[in-house]
Amino acid sequence: MAMLPKKITLRIRILKALIIMLLVIYSINLFSMQVLRKELFVSEAQRISIQSTRIPAPRGEVYDRSGRNLLAGNIEAYSVYITPSELPGSKKSEVINKLSLLLNIPIEDIENKLPDSSLYSYGRIVIAKNASLEAVTQIAARIDEFPGISWSSKPLRNYADLQSLSNIIGYVGTITRDEYKLLYNKGYILEDLTGKAGIELAYEDLLKGKDGWISKAVDVYGKDISNNAAEIQEPIPGKRLILSIDSKIQKIAEEALGPRQGSVIVLKPATGEILAMVTYPYYDSRIFMSDNVGKAYLELLNDPNKPMLNRAYQSSYPVASTFKTVLTAAILEENAISPDKKIYCSGELIYGGRSWSCHIKKPGHGALDLKNALAQSCDIYFWTAGRDYLGIENIVSYAQDFGYGKPTGIDLPAENVGLLPTPTWKEEKYNEIWTPGDTMNLSIGQGYLLASPLQLANMMAMIVNDGIIYKPHILKEVRDPTTSALINEIQPEILHQSSISSRTFETLKSYLRGVIVYGTAKVPINTKVVQVAGKTGTAEVGLKDRWHSWFVSFGPYDAPAKDQIVVATMIEASNPWEWWAPYAANVIYQAIYANQNAHDAAKAVGVRLEGSSLIGKRE
Amino acid sequence: MKSQSFKRLFGNIDYYLLFSCFLLCALGIVAIYSSGIDAEGVTVSNEYLKQIIWFGIGVFLLIAAAVFDFSRYKDMVWILFAFAILLLIITLLAGKVVNGARSWLGIGGIGIQPAEFTKIATVLMLARYLESAEFDSSFKKLLMTGLIMSIPLALILAQPDFGSALVFIPAALVMLTLADVDFQYILFGVLSIVGVFLFLSLPLYASNHPNPENILFTAITNKNVLIAILIFILVISIISGIGWLKFKKRYYYWLSYSMAILAISTIGAIIAHSILKPYQIMRLLVFIDPSIDPKGSGWNILQSITAIGSGGFWGKGFLQGTHSHARYIPQQSTDFIFSIIAEEFGFVGCIVLFILYGILLFRCIVLIETSKDRFSQYVIGGLLGIFAFHFMINIGMAMGIMPVTGIPLYFVSYGGSSLWTGLISIGILTGISARRYSA
Repeated sequence: MAMLPKKITLRIRILKALIIMLLVIYSINLFSMQVLRKELFVSEAQRISIQSTRIPAPRGEVYDRSGRNLLAGNIEAYSVYITPSELPGSKKSEVINKLSLLLNIPIEDIENKLPDSSLYSYGRIVIAKNASLEAVTQIAARIDEFPGISWSSKPLRNYADLQSLSNIIGYVGTITRDEYKLLYNKGYILEDLTGKAGIELAYEDLLKGKDGWISKAVDVYGKDISNNAAEIQEPIPGKRLILSIDSKIQKIAEEALGPRQGSVIVLKPATGEILAMVTYPYYDSRIFMSDNVGKAYLELLNDPNKPMLNRAYQSSYPVASTFKTVLTAAILEENAISPDKKIYCSGELIYGGRSWSCHIKKPGHGALDLKNALAQSCDIYFWTAGRDYLGIENIVSYAQDFGYGKPTGIDLPAENVGLLPTPTWKEEKYNEIWTPGDTMNLSIGQGYLLASPLQLANMMAMIVNDGIIYKPHILKEVRDPTTSALINEIQPEILHQSSISSRTFETLKSYLRGVIVYGTAKVPINTKVVQVAGKTGTAEVGLKDRWHSWFVSFGPYDAPAKDQIVVATMIEASNPWEWWAPYAANVIYQAIYANQNAHDAAKAVGVRLEGSSLIGKRE
Repeated sequence: MKSQSFKRLFGNIDYYLLFSCFLLCALGIVAIYSSGIDAEGVTVSNEYLKQIIWFGIGVFLLIAAAVFDFSRYKDMVWILFAFAILLLIITLLAGKVVNGARSWLGIGGIGIQPAEFTKIATVLMLARYLESAEFDSSFKKLLMTGLIMSIPLALILAQPDFGSALVFIPAALVMLTLADVDFQYILFGVLSIVGVFLFLSLPLYASNHPNPENILFTAITNKNVLIAILIFILVISIISGIGWLKFKKRYYYWLSYSMAILAISTIGAIIAHSILKPYQIMRLLVFIDPSIDPKGSGWNILQSITAIGSGGFWGKGFLQGTHSHARYIPQQSTDFIFSIIAEEFGFVGCIVLFILYGILLFRCIVLIETSKDRFSQYVIGGLLGIFAFHFMINIGMAMGIMPVTGIPLYFVSYGGSSLWTGLISIGILTGISARRYSA
């Protein structure tokens, strides 16, 4: 044993004293708390704790343009509780049996939630969270048979049978961890639902509303001990949204498109309002509210036809001959080729050591001026024009002017901006130089160029408006959820203003009208009720007998811009070839302007909506 | 011969120490079981089962630590220390964040808190140093102790785990006390820490009150004023330092001494303010005045105090603690384990706990007095400092007379790392006690 120096012995004594001091002080403090002041703490412990119960705010309702068709609303979902202290022991098993039958929950599950130790608890124990209204009604009607049973309701999202509108409305789901981190400061809790797609996601802030609270004083057993009425903070429901969607036109467009992979957009060019937006295949928003949402969601994700995609603005495709509209505008504005000058189409052009065939094989279109070249969609004319008269810089600059490769700014999430290729882009991407062949491909909308149907609808809108594109939008009005008073009306917002002269647009419009009167769309667009102008497109995608089919158009041709609509139809090459895009547009125009449904309209113009018998024509 | 030495070995083991330690562990498991019951009487947590498993493994660790003769291999303790530092670095780089601190190291659900084991390694390292520096000056001992300690301290502060980092200081203080370091140095350390705490919390307290009445508050909340004061203090301490060296007048020395404490406190407070998370700062404030934030940080303290006080003399009985079972108190099984013991077993139960801890601490002192070498004495002193500090802070916090720093009550609180650290420490002490009279 080491001898401890005297000094250290003293110090050890001090340590001892410190420890004794610590223990004594703590004991005295504890004695003071637990013995002398006990009553104070006991009453404190039994007195109050303020129990706050959240009253979830109903999510804002979504209506179509008319303000009458409810697209997304709420229903009440019921939770059922047992208050053990109010349930007499003698009746316990009987009540549990009845509940089990009514709520369709196994008896054991209910019993497991009611252990013996809870027998005298005043707190409510949740038995079921999604009970049906019928079950709750039955309990309420025979409440004397259900002592100690209570229920509460909370609003649950409910969708109408939306069909193709599902992809616009979107759906809600439980907040994810990542979303929660971002939304925490906005007062979200982990059980909250948030918008996951479409309008539900885009306007989450407006739709969400503000949860309310009931605060009441409860004792330590959870028994309500407040004498006064509970303090209630009413929930503030989410705003009511009125969409620009016209349910009638949506239905027409949906039926005109039929079960074909593709999309339809009907747009009001004077405001940018989207009247209809159909994508096929679509999903059903209602499955996201069902119990086995996980499985259904996986099936949707794994579906090779990608029903979660809104093809109208989230897909981009080669635009084919519809792009000739841009070249025509460029030729007119730049006066690159005199509109009267004719270029001879022999059905074939030799360039760069290979043969470039027009869609009309030898002997070809013959000599065509600009007007007829656009009407007949002659490839030879536009190859020559693009390569020899306009050049790639001009084409790119005009394409940009028409909105290619740029966001449309639509008020829906995750739009596809497509791709407008430029020489710099090609060098960066492929490390290859831009060739005149690339220019020729671009001139007829093939090659690298990609655009979404919405971008093409915007192109037509710009022509109708003589150079102005209004930002396309789905939301029309925001209204108060209870009084329905107008809070905010979405005003047309200029997305882009072109410097192209109105004279060019006038000429271009008449040329586009020519496409229907004496051009490629003469046969399919035969409606008599409205004068349509537009451009067809048939895009090569590497398949031998099938092509993407486009028709982008506006009408009535003779009406002022504010009364016109733009219709863009797009049928993917994955469908059997029937050149359906112009036929679908034809039915849509007929139905809208003759005030018919799609079936009657189809009959009136001599088209079978089922298709198949149609003999298509490829340009 | 052999059997006789075995007998002597076992005969010398401090059974009081083992006895109180095991009883504390048992009390802990009972309390953890109780904390896992909700107001409806449903067992919502199986923490007590895990604690039992950890205790079982911990007993083997205890035996292993007792069998290993640390004072024989004291020249090797630096390996242990280096390993602990390495673990801390790995934790910083690849650790898991729990409660805002990157303090967990592990795979899947299994993990350890290296900061816990670092405490033992650092105590061993310091003991080795102090033993080798027996005849060095007080100042050198203090400086070297500070240097050795600063490595794990900085790494733990970087996690940041303020509570665990704090524990190193009392351990070192007890060891320095035993190492015959001048009291004025030890006092210097204690006062600096108190100063840091005061300077950290006062301006925060002021900023949370709409009308700071005290001019002192304005002085230390204003950055420019603060810098001016800091420069002033530094200048005075340097001048008085020079004065002392030159004139050897005693009052120069004390002036410089107190000014240096002020300077360290201010700088420390500024550094701590940048390291601490807002919730930790709030806890410091709440210590001063729990009603400052009764629904937030003050909630724990108010609920814990209420639970303890309502326990009364005899307690409400096992599993009958209404306040605890309403799950009003977060971290019931770790930081606030004392409140459930106090509520259910009352004053009597708490006094039993105090007595058990008292036995543990006093046996440490007896061991210091009887152990055969300085190294062992330092080790015991360090462990004693750690135990006492954890006891003081954890129980003081539950009673509302210490700030909430979130450190466990050794042996009682739920948690594998802290339980093992406690049991290994007891193992080391048992080993020392067994060998104390052997040559």
